[in-house]
Amino acid sequence: MKIGVYVCECGINIAATVDVEKVVEYVKDIPKVAVTRYYKYMCSDPGQTLIKKDIEELGLDRVVVASCSPRMHELTFRTVCKEAGLNPFCFEMANIREQCSWVHKDKERGTEKAISLVMSAVARAALLEPLQMKKVGVVPNAMVIGAGIAGIQAALDIADTGYKTYLVERTASVGGRMSQLDKTFPTLDCSACILTPKMVDVARHPNIELLTYSEVENIDGYVGNFKVRVRKRARSVDESKCTGCGVCTENCPISLQIQLQDKPDEAPVVRDREYIEELIEKNSYHEGPLVQIMLEVNDKYRYLPRDVLEYLSYKLEIPMTTIYRVATFYKSFSLEKRGKFHIKICLGTACHVRGARNILDRVKSSISGAEEGLFSIETVNCLGACALGPIMVINDEVHGNVTVDNVDKIISNLGVNE
Amino acid sequence: MNKLQNPGELEKLKRTIQDGRDPKKPIITICGGTGCKASGCDDIIGIFKNEIEKQNLGNKVDIRITGCHGFCEKGPLVVIHPKKICYPRVKGEDVSRIISETVMNDTVIDELLYVDPISGEKITYEYDIPFYKKQTRTIFGSNGHIDPTSIEDYIAIGGYSALSKTLSNMTPGSVIEEIKSSGLRGRGGGGFSTGRKWATAAKFDTEKKYILCNADEGDPGAYMDRSVLEGNPHSVIEGMIIGAFAVGSNDGYIYVRAEYPLAVSHFIKALETAREYGLLGTNILGSGFDFDIRVYQGGGAFVCGESSALIQSIEGKVGEPRAKHIHATEKGLWGYPTVLNNVETWANVPLIINKGADWYAGIGTDGSKGTKIFSLVGKINNTGLVEVPMGITIREIVYDIGGGIPEGKKFKAIQTGGPSGGCIPESLIDMAIDFDELTKAGSMMGSGGMIVMDEGTCMVDVAKYFIEFNLDESCGKCVSCREGNARILEILEDICQGNGNENSIPMLEEFADHVKDLSLCGLGKTAPNPVLTTLRYFKDEYLAHIEKKECPAKTCKPLIRYVIDPDACKGCRACARKCPVEAITGEKKEPHVIDGNICTKCGTCIETCKFNSIIIETGGV
Repeated sequence: MKIGVYVCECGINIAATVDVEKVVEYVKDIPKVAVTRYYKYMCSDPGQTLIKKDIEELGLDRVVVASCSPRMHELTFRTVCKEAGLNPFCFEMANIREQCSWVHKDKERGTEKAISLVMSAVARAALLEPLQMKKVGVVPNAMVIGAGIAGIQAALDIADTGYKTYLVERTASVGGRMSQLDKTFPTLDCSACILTPKMVDVARHPNIELLTYSEVENIDGYVGNFKVRVRKRARSVDESKCTGCGVCTENCPISLQIQLQDKPDEAPVVRDREYIEELIEKNSYHEGPLVQIMLEVNDKYRYLPRDVLEYLSYKLEIPMTTIYRVATFYKSFSLEKRGKFHIKICLGTACHVRGARNILDRVKSSISGAEEGLFSIETVNCLGACALGPIMVINDEVHGNVTVDNVDKIISNLGVNE
Repeated sequence: MNKLQNPGELEKLKRTIQDGRDPKKPIITICGGTGCKASGCDDIIGIFKNEIEKQNLGNKVDIRITGCHGFCEKGPLVVIHPKKICYPRVKGEDVSRIISETVMNDTVIDELLYVDPISGEKITYEYDIPFYKKQTRTIFGSNGHIDPTSIEDYIAIGGYSALSKTLSNMTPGSVIEEIKSSGLRGRGGGGFSTGRKWATAAKFDTEKKYILCNADEGDPGAYMDRSVLEGNPHSVIEGMIIGAFAVGSNDGYIYVRAEYPLAVSHFIKALETAREYGLLGTNILGSGFDFDIRVYQGGGAFVCGESSALIQSIEGKVGEPRAKHIHATEKGLWGYPTVLNNVETWANVPLIINKGADWYAGIGTDGSKGTKIFSLVGKINNTGLVEVPMGITIREIVYDIGGGIPEGKKFKAIQTGGPSGGCIPESLIDMAIDFDELTKAGSMMGSGGMIVMDEGTCMVDVAKYFIEFNLDESCGKCVSCREGNARILEILEDICQGNGNENSIPMLEEFADHVKDLSLCGLGKTAPNPVLTTLRYFKDEYLAHIEKKECPAKTCKPLIRYVIDPDACKGCRACARKCPVEAITGEKKEPHVIDGNICTKCGTCIETCKFNSIIIETGGV
């Protein structure tokens, strides 16, 4: 096998950030590479002739051009190969312009990257096989998988242009997530008012074949000639006669309720169980106690331990997703353990205009390098002691009128080593 | 303690408490508010107590730890009653002298007195201090006299008499009428008529109704609600009970920030004692009316100050606002009619009932009645809480009460309304402050934060600060607020770093409009206000950043550099020793030099230098 490698300078587009000479020099020793050249504009007539001549004279059977995006000139160079008597699919292109020279500044590293791109292209070129073009027939049908609002709309759009469309849906009804929503953002339009007419359209459309309670098992074939195997699950109802009136569900002696979350039979293991129980009991006079309990838990452990949250989820019958949502929404909560000395720095307006940012920077630098778990910093938006800004609170001790100068002193007075 | 069975017993109790107290007995009041705590009042209190014990004066002197007096700048504050001799910034070593000379012998210690920063005169009595003199302290006045943890103190100054008047002489309708005609508007920021709000909720005949107090004082730079709750919690409770009676509710909640631990504990204590006295709970003062209040702590989310988000939060959910086509007064907490008012609004209620709507309507301007507490903070001499009648001018607040700007700098702007408000420039200094005037100037009343800015405050930086704040606190529900503010912040950051261009300002304006129009709740709708007002009044400053790459206030770090004036520098090496990055070099007694490549512009050297030899330069960076 003889591979020819041609590196384009593209004026200065590539040459400014990639040392093309170096690329050529590097690539020339790769096995199977028969010739390497660089040229100002590979896509120009002289450039094209250069490749043609090499194919004819040296008997190249693979060609690699390292230049711009294939979208620009892949066809150009394939035609060059074809005209020189080489199968056009024995051509490979490396994009060292859009993906390399244009996006980098450092010439050395740009050159390195170009080399590696060209080497990949050479490796690939060695694996290319000659291909033949031919024409095949197309089955002009479409299949949409999933009948949520997007699937419904896609099926309607395709069907309206006159193509037969299969709409496959795993559950018993079309509609998907949107049918569970009350309103849609941001206009707060009624969700059902948008969805239900489309559900009816999809069912009645002459070009749409609805396959509900069905799943795609296998997809085979290629563009224009896909073969899809769909499994329709048994529903033991004659679909051609069923009107969906719903009377059967009311009369069925076995009620099938949807269970949103399975509650485990046993309470999960939790640390300090008695204390947690007490907390739940103490806050039970609130109608929505979750946040209050979590505040106390966060105070005690300096974060929200997962086992406690799981226990709360079990006890209060609130899904973990909701608990996590609450835990990550409010600033007071932390899912990671806070330091032994928790430093809060107020960045309220009054503190800000008195230079709280500088204090924050100083605190950060002054505790950097401290043992892990000793300090943690939190910035808060106003602690309500604005007259004495900048304010810093360490654990529960309030420090007012903090200056950059006395930060170190405050921190060293903490008695960290005791 | 037996529960009070009727209004007569309350009156009797008040007289008993008053009679048991000798008006001539000296009382040492020490401010125990959060401001003074930060200045170390806990130590001072301990020393006073020890000293009194040591001198065996337990029977002759009373000590009272009060709530915030407002003059936080000068804390720890000590006032000796009955003469009200005031000592600011008291230190441990002064205590024994204060006791032996002032408390026992009535002599004033000259060198401990407050010195007026303008006239240089020494002032003996608290009420003579200009900071207090120009104020009208109707809500806040009792803070300095009573121990917030003692219900007896509150009853002794006439507390709960408005409640007893309401329950014995008034109907729900007449209470609402009284509040309506007083012209009271919500102090939380919106300025909605309180009477009208109550009237709407009272209309509905439902099994339950809720009374809520919004103490989620999230506006940075505002802390009046905290001080009212810490200093006079019973006034809020009394207001809430009266409100509950008027709208027909039996359940109340107060939503307090978890960042205010002292306020929470004082309020809980107040609830307990009020229940013991039969002023809260079932059959209040024998009237047959039941009402109780639960305390709910917030989790540190600014947006929870918004009514619908607050209600969601009390329900134990994530505090995301919802659209308000149905008002909370119709369907609020758990779907029941709900009246939500701010702390200060509730504290106003007993005053109106006691002194009458006409008295209240006599204070203030046409559209805004009564007094308002502002927190006067930032670059001002007398920082603290000030209660003033509506309609007072900015000049009076800044210069007469606030004592002007420190270090003789120039007043530049005043920021009101929190992160949703705006900056009012010096040219409008004679503007009267009320709800409508502030809105006209592009700002708003908000909850009452007033942050004074001097020539050293960069307005672009201020706008950036607020956008950062709003972005941080945005709940993320609306794309416009979540993403729009992020883009605005990017542009502002570019400007502050000297990368602004001619498109920056038009783009800011365009984005600001979109965020305002497309967001659901008040936070998003007002989030771009700080940008819009600073653009309106301080466009020059934006242009200086963009065109000249200068920060006129010398704040934006990428646009400034620190240099040492070789003529002023004495070569003392103090700054070089303190510099955290060792950017300052120079021989002893020779002028030093700052290496701009190393300098992080942290400001330590400026704080250290005694000769003002460090100068900040801007432009040409």
